[in-house]
This record gives sequence, C-alpha cells and structure tokens, in this order.
Amino acid sequence: MAKRAMMEVVDQDPVASLRILFGRLLEDAEIGAVLVAQHLNKGGVPMPALVTDPERFEYADPLAPAFPINAAKIVSRLSRRPAGETVAAVLRPCEIRAFIELVKLKQGNMHDVLLLGIDCPGAFGNTDYARYVEGNGSRSSVDFLTAAIRGKTSTEDGLDISPACKACEHPVPENADVIIGMLGVDVKSSLFLYAGTPRGEELLSKLNFSEIREPEDRRSAVVELLERRIAYRDRMFEKTTEATADLEKLTAYLANCVNCYNCRVACPVCYCKECVFLTDVFDHEPAQYLRWARRKGILKMPSDTIFYHLTRLAHMSTACVGCGQCSNACPNNIPVMELFRTIAACTQRAFGYEAGRSADDEPPLSAFREREFSEVTGGKD
Amino acid sequence: MKEKIGSALIVGAGISGIRSALDLAEMNYHVILIDRAPHIGGTLRQLDRQFPDDHCGMCKMLPLVDRDAASQYCLRKGLFHENIDIMLSTDLVSLEGEPGRFQATLRFKPSLVDPGRCMGCGECARVCPVEIPDEFNAGLTLRKAVYLPVPHNIPNHYVVDEAACIRCGECQKVCPTEAIDLKLESRRAFRILVVDDELVVRDSIKEWLEDEGFSVDMAESGVEAVEKLGKREYGLMLLDVKMPGMDGVQVLKAARDMRPELPVMMMTAYATVETAVEAIKMGARDYLMKPFDIEKLVSIVVQYYQDTESIPERRVDVGAVILAAGFESSDAGLVKDTYGYGQLPNVVTSIEFERLLSGTGPSQGKLLRPADGRPAEKIAWLQCVGSRNLHLNADYCSSICCMYSIKEALLAKKHNGGNVDASIFYMDMRTFGKDFQRYRDRAQQEHGVKFIRSRVHSVEPGASNGSLSIVYSDPAGTVCQEEFDMVVLATGQKAPRGTSALAEVAGVELNPWGFCRVSDFSLTRTSRDGVFVSGSFSGLRDVSESLIQAGSASLCASALLHSKGGELAEVAHERYPVREVSREMPLTALAVCSCGEILERAAGLSGIVETLQKAGLVSEVFRFDRLCTRSDWEDLRKKTESTRCNRVLIGACLPYVYGKKLKELSRSAGLATSLMDVVDIRTPAFPGLDGDKRSVSRHILTAIEMALARLRGVDSLSPVHTEVIRKALVVGGGIAGMTAALAIADHGFHVDLVERSPQLGGNLRTLHRTIEGSSPRDLLERTLSRIEKHPLLTVHMNARVVHSQGRVGRFLTTLEKEDGRGEAIEHGVCILATGGKEAAPRSYCYGDSEAIVTQHELEGMFREGVLDPSRLGIVAMIQCVDSREEGRNYCSRVCCVSALKNALYLKERNPDTDVYILYRDMMTYGFLETYYTQARRAGVIFIRYDLEDRPAVEVIDGRLKVSVLDTVLGRQIILEPGLLVLSTGIVPAEHVREAEVFGLSINEDGFLMEAESKWRPVDFMRQGVFLCGLAHSPRSITESIAMAEAAAQRALGLLCRRELPIGSTVAEVRQSLCSLCERCIAACPYGARWRNEEEDRIEVDQPACQGCGSCAAVCPNGASVILGFRDQQILAVIDAALEQVGG
Repeated sequence: MAKRAMMEVVDQDPVASLRILFGRLLEDAEIGAVLVAQHLNKGGVPMPALVTDPERFEYADPLAPAFPINAAKIVSRLSRRPAGETVAAVLRPCEIRAFIELVKLKQGNMHDVLLLGIDCPGAFGNTDYARYVEGNGSRSSVDFLTAAIRGKTSTEDGLDISPACKACEHPVPENADVIIGMLGVDVKSSLFLYAGTPRGEELLSKLNFSEIREPEDRRSAVVELLERRIAYRDRMFEKTTEATADLEKLTAYLANCVNCYNCRVACPVCYCKECVFLTDVFDHEPAQYLRWARRKGILKMPSDTIFYHLTRLAHMSTACVGCGQCSNACPNNIPVMELFRTIAACTQRAFGYEAGRSADDEPPLSAFREREFSEVTGGKD
Repeated sequence: MKEKIGSALIVGAGISGIRSALDLAEMNYHVILIDRAPHIGGTLRQLDRQFPDDHCGMCKMLPLVDRDAASQYCLRKGLFHENIDIMLSTDLVSLEGEPGRFQATLRFKPSLVDPGRCMGCGECARVCPVEIPDEFNAGLTLRKAVYLPVPHNIPNHYVVDEAACIRCGECQKVCPTEAIDLKLESRRAFRILVVDDELVVRDSIKEWLEDEGFSVDMAESGVEAVEKLGKREYGLMLLDVKMPGMDGVQVLKAARDMRPELPVMMMTAYATVETAVEAIKMGARDYLMKPFDIEKLVSIVVQYYQDTESIPERRVDVGAVILAAGFESSDAGLVKDTYGYGQLPNVVTSIEFERLLSGTGPSQGKLLRPADGRPAEKIAWLQCVGSRNLHLNADYCSSICCMYSIKEALLAKKHNGGNVDASIFYMDMRTFGKDFQRYRDRAQQEHGVKFIRSRVHSVEPGASNGSLSIVYSDPAGTVCQEEFDMVVLATGQKAPRGTSALAEVAGVELNPWGFCRVSDFSLTRTSRDGVFVSGSFSGLRDVSESLIQAGSASLCASALLHSKGGELAEVAHERYPVREVSREMPLTALAVCSCGEILERAAGLSGIVETLQKAGLVSEVFRFDRLCTRSDWEDLRKKTESTRCNRVLIGACLPYVYGKKLKELSRSAGLATSLMDVVDIRTPAFPGLDGDKRSVSRHILTAIEMALARLRGVDSLSPVHTEVIRKALVVGGGIAGMTAALAIADHGFHVDLVERSPQLGGNLRTLHRTIEGSSPRDLLERTLSRIEKHPLLTVHMNARVVHSQGRVGRFLTTLEKEDGRGEAIEHGVCILATGGKEAAPRSYCYGDSEAIVTQHELEGMFREGVLDPSRLGIVAMIQCVDSREEGRNYCSRVCCVSALKNALYLKERNPDTDVYILYRDMMTYGFLETYYTQARRAGVIFIRYDLEDRPAVEVIDGRLKVSVLDTVLGRQIILEPGLLVLSTGIVPAEHVREAEVFGLSINEDGFLMEAESKWRPVDFMRQGVFLCGLAHSPRSITESIAMAEAAAQRALGLLCRRELPIGSTVAEVRQSLCSLCERCIAACPYGARWRNEEEDRIEVDQPACQGCGSCAAVCPNGASVILGFRDQQILAVIDAALEQVGG
C-alpha cells in the first residue's frame, strides 16, 4: 500500500498528466465517473463536468486559476442518495471543506465520493479570469501555476488572485482522500500524490504507485505560503472590523447591496431549499412599509438589507469556509467575503469549531450544553 | 346506579401533594388541594437548588400530555390546572364516610384581604408600621404585618398576619381596590368581661385586649360580674378563681345558668389549679395560669373570637384522601444548647443557610455572615442535628441532610470568589441514593469539601470577632478544635405541628416517632382504608422519593376511585365546534376593563382605545368597568357570541387567571382558544411605579399593540389528535413488574407482562423475611394468585422483547419466545422493570470456603433451615464488598439493612453468637436507624473500616481468619468466624437489549437512565415508556412496589385517554421549505422528531412535542415552526413594541 507517491509529468505539462491520471481512474480503479473542471467552450471558464468516458478528459483543467463556482454543492447533489457507483471529485481545498459542512447538514454523503484535492495556489475572480485567459487556452494554467507556487500570483497587467485566496490558510486539502501536491514540487517534472484516508491509500495502490518520501521542500513551501496568507488575513480582519464597527458603518459597508441574494446562491454552505428571505416571513403588508417609513420619516428600499446579511451571518458564519464565492458573485463589488470571514473567525472561535476541518466535529448548535458561554451568562448556571 | 365520585382531596400542597394532584388531575379526576399555609410549594418555596445537579427543576413536574390544561411556568411561582381547586389557609376538620365516598369538612382561615380584589400592588405593605421577622427568609429579614408569603408567587396576594397586626387601619385606607377589610368593627363588637379582685390584673388585661381591638368590661367581684352578665351580651368571660365573697366557681355556676353559651376561661394561680380543673368539669373552657404570658393570653382570646366568627366551612364529597402534610425542621434551639444556636448569630440552620445563598434571600445571594455582614469564607456543617437522637424521640435518620449539606457546601464554594473553605462534620455520610456516592466523591476530590468524621462536642465563640470554635473528637477519641466563620446546623426533620390533630381527624395511626404509619409493603397505605399518605408526612425523603411516593399514593387513590365507580376519565379530549377562520381576514375585538375609574384616570384608556381604532388595529371594542365581576363577564360572553370578529383580545389585570375562563368563552363564542388572549394593562398603572399619565398610557398602548400583533398572525387550525392503543406492555416479572401490571389491569386496561425466565417473582423468591418481620413469600403468593386470576393480564414467560417501533400512545413491539417464535404486541405505553440481582463477590476469598457466603445465600440458609445458629460462634459480615469505590461506585442501599436484619435474626436465635459487622458508613436511612440502635443494644459489634485499610480475609486449612484495623482502638483486630457474610450489593440485570429496543440510555453502572433524577424519576426522555424497580437503582421491596405504582400511575395518565391531546404550542414542519438537514432532530430534547425515510420528510410526534422551540431556533429558513410563535408573528410583535401608532 502506498501512502505517498510521485507521479511523473509528461511533456512538462502537469495538466496533461492529470488527464491521463483521470482516465486511469475510470479504467483501473473502479471509479464510475470523475467530476473535474473542464473548458467546455474553448477559452471559456472551466466548469465542473461529470466524465464517464476516459477519452473525454481532453479539456479537463483543474489547475486553471479559475473558480467560477464552489463545486461542493454539485458534489452534494451527486451524493445525497446512493448512486450505486463511486464518483471521484477533483476539488480545491475550500470545495472539500464546504462539502464536509454539507455532509454534516445531511446534504451529501462521503461514502460514494472519493475526494481528490489539489494544492491550491489561489484563483482569479471570474471577471479577472476572463481577462487573464484572453484566448490562451490551458497553457496559461501551467504558466500561472509555476509562478504561483513560487509565490508570485500577480500578473504584469495588474491582475491578481482574489482576496479570499490571498487570505486562505488552507492551501493544502488535508482532508481529501488523495491529495495532489504541488507546493514544494517541480510541477513540470512530477506531482506529489499522497493519501489522506485509508480509501485514498487503497486508490493509490490500485493505480500501482510505489511509496516514496515526502519531497524535501514541501513543508517549508507550505509554511512560507501560510505565513504570507495569515498576515494578509489578519490585516483584512483588522480593516473589516474597523469598517463595520457599528451599525452606521455596517450600513455604509453594505450600501451598494441591491438584495439580489446572489451571495447566498453562490455560497456553498447556504443549503436551504428556499431562503427565508424569499418566503412569506418577509412578505410584508404594504401598510407595514408605510408604518416603518413613518417611524423615521424615511425607509430605504428594498428594506431588510442589513437584516438579510445579519441573518445569513447568524445562520452560516459557523459553517463559512472562506471560499469567497459571495464576493465573486456580487454584482456591486461589496466585500462580502471579508465581512463573513471576519465574523466567522469570531463565531467559530466561540464554539471551538473550525468549519470544514472534519466530518466528525459536531457542528455548533446541534447540541445544547448546559454549561457554556459563562461570559454571557455571568458564570452562573 | 351509583353516583360517581371522581374526586380526591389532597391535604398539603408541597411537592408531593402537587405531584399527586397533578397525577389525578391528568386522569381527569377532580382534585381539591388544600394547605394550611397561605401558599403552595411547601419547603421547596425556600430552596433554590437541589442535589445532585444543583439546579431547580420543579417545572419538570408539569403535565407533558395535556399541557394546555395547566399553567406552564415556574411551579415555585404558582400552579393552575383546570381540574385542581387549590384552597390555601385551609384545614381539614372532619372526615366522615367510607372509602370511595367520604364527606370532608374544610375550614378556611378567614382572610382579611380579598384575593379576588388584591392585585399585589403593595401599597398596604408600604404604609404598614409593623415589622417582624419574615418566615420566608427563615427570620433573617423583616416583613410587615401585611405581606406576601412568597415574594415571587403568581398571583401574588397580600395577607394580613393577624397576630402581628396592630389594627391601625392604614392599609385598609390606602388599598386602591378596597381589598382589605380588617373587620375592626366586629372585633370591637366582641365584648369581654374580666372578673378579678386585683385592680392591677384587671387593668393590664383590659389594656392588652383593647390593644387588640376588643371591647373590655371589668368586674371587681363575683357579685358585680353576675350583675353585668345580666345586663349585656358577652363573647367571653375571663374569671379569677379565688375572690373574696362569691368566688370564681360560684360565678361560673351562675353564668352557666344565665348564659349557657358563654365561654368562660378561668384564671388561676398555682395554688388553685385543682379548683380550676374542677371548674372545667363544670363547663369552663380552659384555664390560664398566673402570671400571664401576654402573647398566650392574647392568642387564646383571639382564638375564641375567631371561633365565634362565622368561619367559612365547606363540605365536599371525595372518593379518596391523600395526606401530604410534609414535615417540619427540628427546632435547632431545642436540640443541644452546646451548639449555640440562638446565642451565636453565626450559627445558622440549614434552611437559614439556603436563604443566605438565595438571590431572594436577605443578602441577595451574597454569602455574608448574619452577625456582621462580612463574607463567610470558612464554613462548617454539623450533621444529625435533631436526628439520630434518642433524647428527642428521634431514633431515626432524616435521610436528606447528608446530601443537602454536600450541596450547600458545593454551592457555598461558588460564592465569595471561590474562596470558601467547607467542612462537614459527620457520623456516617449517608449517600444511599442513585449517583449520590459519586456526588460526594466529586465534592471531596474535585471541589475540596472536607469530610470530618467526628463527634462534635460544642460550638463556642472563637478568638476573633464573630468567629466560632468547634470542639470535637475524632474517631480515635482525640479532642480537636477548629475555628470557622460560620456554622450550619444540618437540622433534621420531624412531624409537622398539628400532625396528631390531623391524624385524629383523618382517622389514621401514627408511628412511634409521630409520623403517619404505613402498612406492610406499602409506602402509602395508612391504617384507614381510602386515606393514603404521600411525601415526608410518613417519613423523611428527598424530592425524587417524595415524588415516587406521591405517584404511588395517587395510584392507590385512583384505583379506589375507579373501583368505586368513579371511572377513569374517558373524556375524548373535550371537543366543541369552532368557527373555521383560517381563510378570513384577521379581525380583532378588543375588550378592555378600566378597573373602575382607575385606568381612565391613570392612563386615559378611552384615548388609547380611540388610537387603536383609528389605526384600524381593532374592529370592535367592548368596554367594562370590572371584568372580574360575574355580570361583566357574562356581558362579554354574550357580546362575543354575536361578534363578526375572529380574534378576541382582553385587556385586564392578572392574565393568568383567565385560562379556564377563556375556554368558557371559546366554547360560547365558537372561537378556538388560540384566537383569544389576555394582556395585562393594569400593572403599568400601579401606584409607586412613578409613571406619569403619558408614560403609563404609552406602556398600555404598547402592550395592547404587541398582543394584537401576535394575535393577528396566530394559527387558527386545530391540531390533529392521536388515538391511543389502550393497552400496556410491562417488561420484567419481578415484584415491580407484577405490581405495575396489576395496577394498570385493575384500572380496566389489558396488560402484557413479559418475563424472560420461566417463572415470575424475581428476587422475592430468594428473600426470607424483611427487617420489619413481614414475609416476602406471602407477598409473592398473594401477588401471583392475583395475576393468575386477572382477566386482563396476559403473561409471556421465557420471552424477550427484540424490537419495538412507534411512538407514545402507539407502539408495536415484537417478543421472541423460547422456541424462537415471534409475537407482535400493540400497546400504548410500556413499563420497564427489568430488575437486578445480588452482585457476585469478587474479593474476600469468596469461593474458597463454604463458610463464606453472601447475604442472599445466608437468607437462603435461614429459609431452608440448613443453618444452626447455636453453633456458629462468631459471625462476621463485611459491608460494601466491591462497591462504593470505582468500578461500582454506588451504594446498594439494602445491604446495611440486610446485614442488620440477619444479625438481629442470629442474635434472636442465639444471643451468644458474636456478630461483627465491618462497615464503612451505616446507611440506615429513615426509620431503619432504629434497627441499627436495636442491633447495638442486642450486642452486635460494629467495626468501621476505611478503603485504605480494608479487612483482609484468609482461609487457612478451611478456617477463616479476618483481620481489620479498628479505627477507634487504633489497632488490628483478628477474628476467626465460623461464617463470613459478604454484603455485595445489587447489580442491574442485563438489559442492554431492552434499552436499545426502546431507545433508552444506560448509566455507567448499567442502570437505566431516567428522564431526570429528581423530578421525573420514573419517566424516560422517550415519552410513553416508564421504569421502576431495581432497573432504576437498588431499593427495597417496598420501595420497588411504590416505584412500580408510581410508574403505573404515569402510564395510566396516558392510557386513560382515548386520544392524546396536543398542546396549542407545538412544532410543525413546512415541508416545501425543508432541506432535510436534520438539525431539528438533533436539537429536539424530547426525541419528538424523526426522519421518515420512506417519504423523505421530517415528522413531528406532536403528542411528545413540548413546544420548546429548539427546532425552530436551529432551522435557518423557518421550515420548522412553532404554532403561535411563527417568525412573522414575532417580527410583528417586535415591530409593535418599537413603534407607536400615532405616537
């Protein structure tokens, strides 16, 4: 059984080499289908595609610095009920972490999914990615990658990976079944594969990889990247805390919100079939609007904007994995991710919880404990 | 046909009385619950927290099934139930008739405050000039003569303490609702004739009695007295015996002729007592000794006065009576003057200490010394004050003091920055209840409570100011001394005042210690058929045991009521037609009461109503002057009959009294009760709240608007009811299971009794006799023959339960028979009585010699007659074998008694046998203590050992050698007994399977885990399943029987209904919104939700749902809703609270 393996890269092209690997999954490893990002329209954003034919990985490109959607929701759709076959999903760390949250919310199941996680150097926002590719096809993925794992993510024309990625302290998908490692590795010659679970180990054995040791530079590469990201994150927390310090500031922060609710649609852990803000709870009587308006003489419309964001924070901040899709989806460039991550850091700390860490961690509010939050209850029980 | 009397009288409204009342009320019997005190709750009203969880949970006693029938708030504040009439300040004065048909006479203590009018505003207390110690705070604070007996009661009416009242009349003047009538006139009309030849005596008596408001005439001689008697009517004559000329006796004779009805009280000096006694034979009522004690004299006169008043009495017909008169704390002052109680202010009783810890106590929960208000940082508890005391006729253990002292020590340690040093001085730490031993160990090991085994000699003033010095001797007899800030006397319990009078009235016998006597194998049957006893009135017990006994008492009462034709409540939850309004626009009728002129004056009620009408929030308005009067209420009832509105909001005072009334209104108006509400508009206008008219008006307006908003969004659909399968399944055929099965079958329901072995009887088969001398064998035979004959009982021998599905009211359980055959049984409830057995010893060379046996084996030898007591020589017994230490860290509670029983039996058969009992703590709780005393008298030798120095047993050439360190003598003792008896305790039966089948938990010792150790001892969290007997924890035969009766009672509360009513506040799932995340299932504390895999939806078991709202709180998008508390409603209420129409 192999826990760690080195995969040769052909033609100095890790993307092409991965396509071969995916084909082998279908042929040699009893995998029914592989979910992986593909350029389905030449030059377009790679979108997740479910592939069952080993010949159809020709445009697969999980390494493209693009992150159009968080595929956790797609994996949850594929795994909610048994499908009879195992699907291998090639995912970024934040997608895996979001999926783990969804599993805890009974929206997906780990049994029928094999998670292949890739080291993530970060990705551009959707509009930036469109500008970045400009007809370059998949070749640009490798260019970006070789620079990014050395720490350079910005381009000459001033593009850079999204703030969510810059602040992400989970570039390595530790909780995947198999991790496709690139940090600390010369990706033009080889990729480092290792198993995070016994199932991953089994897969590596089926593929006949032999055991090696961890590449020497990997650890220091990870540490270095984390330091940079945590520093960025903490600056972000500080800035956001200041910018949202009171209700007035928060109102200004969210002033451009048009209640389109894109952020909640894009959010991988917002799992409700129908958001409460779209239900009759917020179907106010016309007279009610007038009464509200009368209270201060003026009422901002649409109303419930701040309430919406606060509610989403209350509901989902403990499950937030910081993927940044909310900001990515915002048509008005509101730094939603910054707000969520800042608050999530506090709420998750309060419950001693880290979203996406492990399917075995009990999510907050699922259990009532008599003796908790003594700072709130005054230490009395 | 016999007239059915489906009602019971319960005397005493402490927790056991309340439990019994709720039990019977839940079966739809009518209950009259009386208490001598002006409040309910008994002792517990003063206690904030109870061991072993150090919380209060009294509310957990409230009904879980027909929740809407009772108030649903803190039970320490009060209780309302449709079927319970609570009568306070009331005594039982006679009980005639026969079981099933008693006539009880109740006497109400006249109240000077009309509870119907008192709103609890407190003006009276503000002006009252009298200040006396407050009983609620155990005398540590002061109160007025007009006061609230419990500061947090709902409703809270003031009462007048007539003994303290000086009749100044100030309160009567300020009462805004004219609720107080001190009856000054009628006192003045009570004229007393004082006859004495000594002027000083006459004058002082006249002064005292006039101060009390009476009119007094005086006569200086017999002749003058007779003359005055001829001229005027008198209410009472106080008559001196020895007077010159016509003496007292002669006057008495004359008075008897002239006014035979006149009560006469003789006054006498010591020398003429005999004459006074003679006078009583001639018709005098009583005599008073000179010199007089003013208080006594006055109280006797007041008593005569009250007797002449027309004291309201009421005769009620009841089928059964439960006495739950409780207990009283021993008087610490009487106990031992060497403890300094009463002289040293920092020596307090345990109840005083509870008040010191309480937030409603004298120092608002700060732990301060009574003497100087300084923080108490070093505190000692002295155990057994007033109990285990032969001099006080208290040869009993009060059972609870050890545990409450540990609790108090732990609570104290949370005070004063955690710096409290706590020491408990004790003889035996009696931790015999479930999980009590671990509680004690945790107190010692984790919290540092010190346990000092000792005899305390005295408490004396210490070296520093206010400190106390305890002088005690340790087990080795060394005299020690230690200083403390404060000393708490763990006062024991005794029978309450008036017990003998109550026993006489009720016709029940008392035991030698003055508590109610109970029959063999029962905790609740008294010497009078049809009169049962509950709670500490028959002996001393903690909350959980009181509740078990209360359940047993209500079972006995209900069995009697049932057998006498009272019938079980077959009411298919009262139904009446209500209008279907779910498709109508919400229209609200507002009924407001202006409380006479008060609300108009204080808040401009008309203006408020006008504002609401203008804003279109109310469609119709009904105005009343006094809605509390019958005529106004009738008026409202008529008006709502014809209203087109589909919501009714009542603005009045005291909303909680409207529960029953709203049902009445609902029925006549044909509107569901959920569409009606009552809002308190009176309190904002209380005097003393310093509100100006504007702010009072704003408060009232906001309150009404919030209530309107809630009512507008209310759900008008009535919930669906579940039909009950009216059959029971009882698992386990020991005495507990058999008792429970019979109890249910006796109420007319079919029972399936499942026993895994080939015969019924369990441990009863191995027991020889009880310590009281009764025969378990006879009990077994009686029970078996009843089971055989009972037409409603089916016994399944050699069978086990292997599967069960369903929910409360509807279960389907599969049995597996010996031959592998299965049988499916439908039932509505289930009782688990899976039992336990004597543990097999693992130590002390058991098995190495035939002379080493267990207590059970010894009893077997007695029973078979194979043991010759005359040849035993020495018998040694070792207690706590393999128990009360980790592994099996609990007390089995029966072993000390078994050892005493067998030791006494051996001594009885051959007094020359030397019996040694090697023990750690003798757990002879309650009246069992007396057997410990007897055993010592009979010469049984008790040697205490510690875990560190446990006895050593060797078998050398077939001979036994037991060595033990005697802690008193401080040296090793060697015994060579002919028989060594090991007290190994009780282990639960192997019932993991049963627990799994019914989804129940098992604790670390293997016993089944009840819903709540204190308040729901026979329930599981899973509704519809109950437990009793050894499966719960070790207990005696009688205790098992009581517990089985209590469990049967809980089960009957469900079985007696054709369908389970569902509370109006209950959860529901909006399936179209539900994402099936199951967070609501995890959050539900009652296991009332589950995922229906077939239909892929979340279901709510509505009869089990308690409407707590946890599910709605965790559901992010409102797919889980609580009827009556929908998001829309709550948002609307919040809006209403924040905004002001037109303001």
